[in-house]
Amino acid sequence: MGPVMVGPSSSHTAGTARLGRVAREILDEDPVDVHFYLHPPLAATYRGHGSDFALVGGAIGFAVDDPRIPEAIRIAEQMDVNVQFSEEDQGDVHPNTVRIEIRGRKREAEIAGSSIGGGVIEVFRINGFQTRFRGDSPTLLLFYRDRPGMISEATKIIAEEGINIASLSCSRKQRGKDAFMQIDVDSPISAAALKRILAIPDVAEARYLDRIP
Amino acid sequence: MIESFKQLEEVARDRDLAEVFLETDEQEHGIPAEQILSALRKRRQVMRDCIERGKSGGQSMGKLVGNEAKLLNEAFLSGKTFLDPLTIKAELYALSVMGENSRMGVIVAAPTAGAGGVVPGMLLALEEERNVDPEKTVRALAVAGGIGSIIALSANISGAAGGCQNEVGVAASMGAAAVSYMMGGTSRQSIHAAALGLKNTLGLVCDPVGGLVEVPCVKRNALFAVHGLTAAQLALAGVESVIPMDEVVEAMVRIGRALPRGLKETAEGGLATTATGCAIGSRLKDEANQRRAERAEERERLAQERKAGVS
Repeated sequence: MGPVMVGPSSSHTAGTARLGRVAREILDEDPVDVHFYLHPPLAATYRGHGSDFALVGGAIGFAVDDPRIPEAIRIAEQMDVNVQFSEEDQGDVHPNTVRIEIRGRKREAEIAGSSIGGGVIEVFRINGFQTRFRGDSPTLLLFYRDRPGMISEATKIIAEEGINIASLSCSRKQRGKDAFMQIDVDSPISAAALKRILAIPDVAEARYLDRIP
Repeated sequence: MIESFKQLEEVARDRDLAEVFLETDEQEHGIPAEQILSALRKRRQVMRDCIERGKSGGQSMGKLVGNEAKLLNEAFLSGKTFLDPLTIKAELYALSVMGENSRMGVIVAAPTAGAGGVVPGMLLALEEERNVDPEKTVRALAVAGGIGSIIALSANISGAAGGCQNEVGVAASMGAAAVSYMMGGTSRQSIHAAALGLKNTLGLVCDPVGGLVEVPCVKRNALFAVHGLTAAQLALAGVESVIPMDEVVEAMVRIGRALPRGLKETAEGGLATTATGCAIGSRLKDEANQRRAERAEERERLAQERKAGVS
């Protein structure tokens, strides 16, 4: 069964709310500016389906079944969050695809992903790195400087916590430069373990995301 | 992991179908059966609450629909309906859920929001009319979800991907399997109910007027709730689909690919581009533009006030 959610469309409200929420979780602070770049088919239908409320709702931290979603744009205004929508072709992707630029006081983040039906999402880019993230299992995201040994150092800590890794993928912008690792795990990672991972030399940032509600 | 309906039929032979799905989830995702059942109990309750709220109707966001559930409920309560109560309740409950959905109320995606009236319409009408134990309904939701997730392995469940066959068709298919289960059917009968339910929706397009989940979605859910019940009835009588369920799903995916973009949720074809559909579409656009202009004015006014307050 699909999620308990606010209507009227699981692609347009549940999935989009979760995409907004992913952006918020990766930013990891209250947003100040959020800009949604909608793929043309989504740009054609998003208002009628309430995707605007849902995207904003997710970006300010609401879950898909939060009854405040229909009021999300007004609430964002009260929170002094600047919200913008534009149309932008995302290439050969699912019709309901959006790129989100989100900025807080300290940080900024960017994701691109599709809402593929029934509330299911596929994020295919995070901060410029290609990936495949669905938000349906606990996941660790690492941003670091590419160098030998990084994978084994990170996975060693996870292994010592007794946590099983379901899948792991890496990508980098250039050899020896900015790199990204996504580790999907079977059980939650403790704050202590996350702290140890952050302390690995050359790790710039780490985000632990639980299932995206 | 169960990857096909053929495999499901082998695994679930002579077994309780809900049990099979719960067990698979436990192995696959490490979620204990009791935890899944309690999540499904919550979903059943959300469906129930949603139906109660929806019965009295109310205007939708786009103002295209709103009193369907109320009208049918009034006719039913005053003895002016001619169908049997199970059929009427299936229609009524589906309309109630979809009414709530069109007002941005809280609903359960089953499997989507736009097709979210079919499964609760069928299951909760049956529960009431045939005195089914609510706990059996909860397990039937596990069956519906299990069927849906096998379909989702090869098909995207959205009107944008393949038309309404991928939404309301899949919902009727899931519901038919669940109803067959609630009525004591075998696993094989549930799978054939699913195949019969889905087969008869193939080619159904997604052509929402003005791009809203209102016309034809709300009433279509009611009609397909009844459709799903009839599929379950055939399967329970021993009627089988000549084309196996896996192949029906394949056909659905191929048809979905072949459908033109204008008939996949874009509101650029079908009912959306009829004379009436176009007129409604442009009225909605005008209203939205006006609302945006008003919001901008309001923001401007607030900014001015703030400035005045500071100085």
